[in-house]
Amino acid sequence: MSEHESTLSRRTVLTTTSAAAIAGLAGCSSGGGNGGGDGGSGGNELELLHAWSSGDGNAAIEALIEGFQEEHPDVEFAEEPVDGAARSNLDQVVLNKLQANDPPSTFQLWPGKNLENYDGAYEDIEGDVWNDDLKENYLAGPQEQAQYDGTYVTVPLNIHRINNLFYNTAVVEEAGVDPESFETAADVAAACETIASETDAVPFAQQTSGAWSTVQLWETILLGQAGIDGYEAFINGNGDSAAVESALEAVIDLSDYYPGDSSSISFTEANTMVMDGDAAFIHQGDWAAGAYSGADDFNYGEDWNQVTYPGTSGNYLLNMDSFPYMANNPSPEATRQFLSYCGSAEGQVLFNAEKGSIPPRSDADVSALNTFQQDQYDDFNAADNQPPSIQHGLAVAPGIRTNILNAFSGFLEDYDAAATAEALIGAFN
Amino acid sequence: MRNPLTVLRRRLSKHRELRADGGTASQAGSILDRDSVRSAPFWLPPFLLVGLFIYGAIIWNIVLSLTNFQGLGSPDYTALDFENYVIAFFGGTPSWSELTVSPIWNSAWNTVVLMVSFSVVCLALGLVLAILVDQEIRFENTFRTIYLLPMSLSFVVTAKFWLYMYNVETGLVNLLLGSVGVGPVEIVQNPDLKLAAVAFALIWQFSGYAMIVYLAGLRAIPTSHFEAARVDGASTLRMYWRVIIPQLRTATVSALVVLTVFSLKAFDFLFSMYGGYQPGPSADILATRMVREAYANGNWAYGSAIAVILFLMALAIVTPYIYSQYKRGEL
Repeated sequence: MSEHESTLSRRTVLTTTSAAAIAGLAGCSSGGGNGGGDGGSGGNELELLHAWSSGDGNAAIEALIEGFQEEHPDVEFAEEPVDGAARSNLDQVVLNKLQANDPPSTFQLWPGKNLENYDGAYEDIEGDVWNDDLKENYLAGPQEQAQYDGTYVTVPLNIHRINNLFYNTAVVEEAGVDPESFETAADVAAACETIASETDAVPFAQQTSGAWSTVQLWETILLGQAGIDGYEAFINGNGDSAAVESALEAVIDLSDYYPGDSSSISFTEANTMVMDGDAAFIHQGDWAAGAYSGADDFNYGEDWNQVTYPGTSGNYLLNMDSFPYMANNPSPEATRQFLSYCGSAEGQVLFNAEKGSIPPRSDADVSALNTFQQDQYDDFNAADNQPPSIQHGLAVAPGIRTNILNAFSGFLEDYDAAATAEALIGAFN
Repeated sequence: MRNPLTVLRRRLSKHRELRADGGTASQAGSILDRDSVRSAPFWLPPFLLVGLFIYGAIIWNIVLSLTNFQGLGSPDYTALDFENYVIAFFGGTPSWSELTVSPIWNSAWNTVVLMVSFSVVCLALGLVLAILVDQEIRFENTFRTIYLLPMSLSFVVTAKFWLYMYNVETGLVNLLLGSVGVGPVEIVQNPDLKLAAVAFALIWQFSGYAMIVYLAGLRAIPTSHFEAARVDGASTLRMYWRVIIPQLRTATVSALVVLTVFSLKAFDFLFSMYGGYQPGPSADILATRMVREAYANGNWAYGSAIAVILFLMALAIVTPYIYSQYKRGEL
């Protein structure tokens, strides 16, 4: 072996390796630089983060942006749908960006107590965005949810209702029960018993692999049984444990009428059971109706219908999305324009027509929405109270919400009402 | 092209003499001629990258777990204490929160149960499969592929798949139980079966991996060992137990390390199966608890403390094996 040759080849390898290493390092740093640059550059480029990457949500955000750009053609969007499991992924992306001091212009965010997640990262938008027009036309409930510690920081864009009970008309008629006549949660359970004995259908479609559907059901029943005062007492940490336990007992009563395989199915499957006539009732947010309107030969008023969950009439239990104004905004002027547009009746109608929810403004022209949405909108404007949902982050701070979800993940295992009630009351300590 | 490094080296070591045998005489005074330095371009970049992104991150995480970092903003590294570990083991109301935080014993116990049962059963099953496949059977490759295939699926797919398999009314597991007169049994939300169901699904997914590792180990054992045992009159069972399996130590260790890591990654599985990081108290593991604390509640420092505990647990399981291998000179 020739020493000279070996040195030469080693030299070549050495050069190549170091060049590659340096190129690799340079690649890293320039990658990071690009990330930072996007945030800072372009005073008029609006960085909008959301999790509506597919389906009706995507159509809705596109309609909103299109409508906005017709009025403000100079504003460009660095719009970034964050893929993955809806919101939890988005929250992680935003948290990481905020910790890197690179806030987005705005992003899809549950308002209300959930705002605590990004404590100190918002800016007051009372006056320029939250002007007198918005304050006059948002009802008290949504308006309260737009504030963090009494300061207006975010603009609610849509409302989904949590306290509806949907049903398949044919199944209900076959069993001879009339949902319009229900007055309490117990009436629902009694009707389920009738349906179980009179028909082959599952009385109450529900999924129990995740806790969220059960939390929604329980909070709706609590609102019905304890009334708005009892509900507000609970979300303010002064809940009555007997009321909490009684609502849990009502959930247990209903659980007898769930599909046998509720722990293995998803919400979509449960909802399809209602559409196929395999189940009578489903309690869900009104996004359940979005699937119905997409189905052939399944029409509102004829094949399916809904009642306000028995006991909760006069209440519109809120689930909302909003766009906050972030401090150190990369595009201050454009963000204000965009948020003002989100607060306008026009923008909200464009968005909600696609999303299946309703505008939070009470003066919107809803003729562009479907009949079900219009009925919901009438209910909303006529509602005495618009209480916030616990499951959907509005009613309690994130840490408390985690405790409540923990309690319900245990509840799904053993359906122990007393222990769960104790955990729910203890969630606030 | 003249390599600047070579030029530099020549300048630093002026006296290079050729020896009679053709090699170069080493110069005690020249650092750059040392093997470790000359090979630096090969080991230094990975050393630095691994050092920074793995060990650096671990150390940073440990420091972070001593702070009170919570919510937005930046951690305060001036006031370090062990409060998060006290909270983790004894519970209570930490200074960084108004809410009571429960200790981690439940999720820690579930983690240990999952990690141990999964790893042990996976290894045992993998070994049996490997010995069977090693019998020069027909369609050996086909069997190997079939056993290994589940591993190529992502946790999201297998979680949804097993959710379906465990279905009370239509799932295959309950159909089989029904055919022997048992059930139907609620599995997914049954506190007594939840963790076992998760472990079973993971074993199904990863025993093929253990099989491949063992198969490679078996193939490396010379045929003469089998023949010698046979000539000495050992039964098949005795042959494997006394002669073959003891030679599979290295395979066991490498499979064990990987399987332990997989069991820690069960987070993805639970996340998909229970639609979030709330699998319920009987299947809650440290990984789900950690993500809940960090990302749902913004308790970054506390989440880091749980991560450190998880890290130490993984070390505690892997270290004794690695150490015994090291002492035997097999690593």
